Amino acid sequence: MPDKPLIEIRGMKKWFPIKEGMLASVRSYVRAVDGVNLEINRGETLGVVGESGCGKTTLGRVLMGLIPITEGSVIYSGSDIREIPNKEIRRKMQIVFQDPGGSMNPRISVRSIVGEPLQVNGICEGVELTRKVEELLEAVGLKAEHMTRFPHEFSGGQKQRIALARALSLDPEFILLDEPTSALDVSVQAQVLNLLEKIQKERGLTFVFISHDLAVVRHISDRIAVMYLGKVVELADSDEIYRNPLHAYTKALIAAIPSPDPDARSDQPPVEGDVPSPVDPPPGCAFGHRLQHPDWEKSTKMDLSLREVSPGHWVQPCPCCTDQYDGDGGESPEQDVADGLPEWVRGE
Amino acid sequence: MTRRTGGDWIGREVLEVEGLRVHFETLDGSVEALNSVDLRVDEGQIMGLVGESGCGKSVTSLVSIGLATCEVDEGSVRYQGEELLFRDNPSNILVQQISERITAFGVMAAIFSFFATILVEPKFFSSVFLLFLSITSVSWLVGFWSKSESRKHQRYMRWVRGNEISMIFQEPMSALNPLYKVSKQISEVMKEHDRLVEAETPRIERIGSALVSPFSIIRGAFSTKPRQSSVALAALLFVYAAQLSGEVTAGPLGGLSKDHILDWFSAPITLFADLSSWILAIGTVMAGLELSSLLDDSYDLTYGLFVIIIENIVVVGGIGSIYGYGKFAGASRISNLSLYIPHAIAAYLAVFLMIWMPLSGLSAILVICALLATPFIIWADFLRLDPAHIRQVEGILDDVRIPDPKSVANMYPHELSGGMRQRVMIGMMMACEPKLLIADEPTTALDVTIQAQILNLMKVLRDDKGTAILLITHDLGVIAEMCDDVTVMYAGRVVERASVREIFSNPLHAYTRGLIACTPSLDSERGSVLPAIPGQVANPSDFVSGCRFCQRMDREGETLDNRPEFLEASEGHWVESCPICLDESQDRWV
Repeated sequence: MPDKPLIEIRGMKKWFPIKEGMLASVRSYVRAVDGVNLEINRGETLGVVGESGCGKTTLGRVLMGLIPITEGSVIYSGSDIREIPNKEIRRKMQIVFQDPGGSMNPRISVRSIVGEPLQVNGICEGVELTRKVEELLEAVGLKAEHMTRFPHEFSGGQKQRIALARALSLDPEFILLDEPTSALDVSVQAQVLNLLEKIQKERGLTFVFISHDLAVVRHISDRIAVMYLGKVVELADSDEIYRNPLHAYTKALIAAIPSPDPDARSDQPPVEGDVPSPVDPPPGCAFGHRLQHPDWEKSTKMDLSLREVSPGHWVQPCPCCTDQYDGDGGESPEQDVADGLPEWVRGE
Repeated sequence: MTRRTGGDWIGREVLEVEGLRVHFETLDGSVEALNSVDLRVDEGQIMGLVGESGCGKSVTSLVSIGLATCEVDEGSVRYQGEELLFRDNPSNILVQQISERITAFGVMAAIFSFFATILVEPKFFSSVFLLFLSITSVSWLVGFWSKSESRKHQRYMRWVRGNEISMIFQEPMSALNPLYKVSKQISEVMKEHDRLVEAETPRIERIGSALVSPFSIIRGAFSTKPRQSSVALAALLFVYAAQLSGEVTAGPLGGLSKDHILDWFSAPITLFADLSSWILAIGTVMAGLELSSLLDDSYDLTYGLFVIIIENIVVVGGIGSIYGYGKFAGASRISNLSLYIPHAIAAYLAVFLMIWMPLSGLSAILVICALLATPFIIWADFLRLDPAHIRQVEGILDDVRIPDPKSVANMYPHELSGGMRQRVMIGMMMACEPKLLIADEPTTALDVTIQAQILNLMKVLRDDKGTAILLITHDLGVIAEMCDDVTVMYAGRVVERASVREIFSNPLHAYTRGLIACTPSLDSERGSVLPAIPGQVANPSDFVSGCRFCQRMDREGETLDNRPEFLEASEGHWVESCPICLDESQDRWV
């Protein structure tokens, strides 16, 4: 374990104002990210999972400094990200977007797409640039002859490889992968995942991998943060989170993964409902509210910051979704909670 | 969820595709998309169709329901024994082609001769014109008659689609119309197929209610928004009183006339006009013009400046600060009132104009507006769904487990989340209780939790209504969770077909093994290298005639030349018998 984390996120909040009316007055806020504390160590892969609308992508963008932070701070190797010059951050932190086709200019060739960061930063030009782009393309499993082609001539998986080559061009320390495989077929997804692992090993990169598919995230990540409605509800080693999920939302995500084994079909009904709107989030534990859990009321009066239950395993201590809470008022929590848990969580 | 053991539906096929071969005409020549595809879906069965993008899964389903834009070379698609593919007999096609050309020629010739009648010689060319006209109409009629078979088939397909076979598309947002409410879209399908229950209100009553609907709208306005309606009515009465006020001579209001009222009303406007003239004057001063002429009026100028500054601070600052924070600042009474400022200004201007214009003009405008609006109000009333139909739609939404169907029926698609949209889509497709539901990647765009909900819903619908489902996906997890039987497609061909247990426990074809191996599962070793099938599906124009999976794996030899036979390896387990692909030891994943 390296001594100091590469990136520290302290109390990150990102609230988007909703403007209305003639004078664009601020009516209320979309609380996309609402108080997140995370540490990302050098050379590790941190997976971020959650459904759409949980604030995963916003977390990533604020982390990269692409959108200004509302409250809190992001510390990149010792200094606040707002104080590092923009050009320097971009050389150290790169991003691969979900939609590979949408993140590339269809009018310029692959050589320009991959080489543009190099040109902008004045690293190399001309023949040198061509040689460098060639190297990058080969590193991501493409051929040098692809350099003169345009994005539409490639399949989804190849486009994602080009996007990765572009992200690698400045030799960054950190890459944010925002659902890089959710638009791809399974076989291509496997190819891309293997490539990512290989490149990480070769270059000692740090990844944050955002996805809604826990199986994919578990495969690639060292640690996993489970997000729900702008908050991290559970954070642990990826094997630990699968073997011993504590929060009901993590359990729900694991239960929802269709397992490729017809004999292991789950007869448990899936968790009901959608992620509530982050405009007016319910107080207390949001997932308990979605489950309409009888103990949800209690969580509104509690401090729900993450608690370390075993080394490296952090969970939001709410009475409705976990049995890891103090039980203020002297009740015996375990028994109480086990009775109150919905059937699909208790099963197994 | 394994209901297949009962076997009461086995043998009664709903959809049977046999030896289907289709091609697309493209600019680069014809491209064969499907090459002898065999597929069978039994009643109440969930058949999985799996393969990567570009393997022809969607084309197969679209050809089956006659929505694809490709040419069918051979093969048949049968729905409960009825042929769905239509092939006109060659003589009819010949007649159609000839008649098309003659019609086109005839129209052109008729147009030319018509102009010649005017420009050259009327008598001769008018008879030529009539001749060409008759030729055109006769050939068009012949063409129309020769197409009668195909029209009949189109009508039949229109009945089949939605009624007997329906389809769920991958993108629920682009499959739903953003301009119509959910209730309208669902009832439209049912109306098309005569599935709507009888309307609750008889036709004559609807016409009657539509005719009185202007009055009922006014009454409704008073009952739902009494305050606003009363204020509007009071304003209108005040306007009429002001218009008629010239006659008052005695009492406290003696001598009051329309002009007085107008004067009161226009005071703020006059002030505003003064302000703007001051601003203009200041502008001139600042521009350094006509300085001398303004020197005498320096007192006025200072005063004007002072007023403007004060006004600005009060109006802009005051309203801005109240308005700026709105409800968020703490919802004081004043801040709530401030929300009505734009409305108040608009109302003030309207009342001012109404008093300002002559009474006859005002009355004429009101009458014309009412006359113009009435037909639209009546029409809108006709467009409204019958309460019985709305209840029916709500029942369907309830069937697909939508919470609060009453309000969802009244929403537009963009107001719903992805999962809800897909539910509405499923509800719409199940509205006519089809025998077969084709689901083309129904959950690919959804989150895992929502995916689980939708799959569960489809399973429940199958169990309740016995609908057969053809589930197209590339996710083997979904297949394992849902299906009874699986058909694996690769590059326009079926490479393997078996029951779901057989496919997963004993996959025979290398492609199936590859697909299973590359699916990340929670049990797999973390950080291990996922076995992945190298490369990608070849471009359809490069397909070889032999084993296409060997082509992808860069193998050479005779397997590339001849198509391997599709054989039954064990009971119910069919596979394309390429010797290399069947041999597990030859698998090379990267």
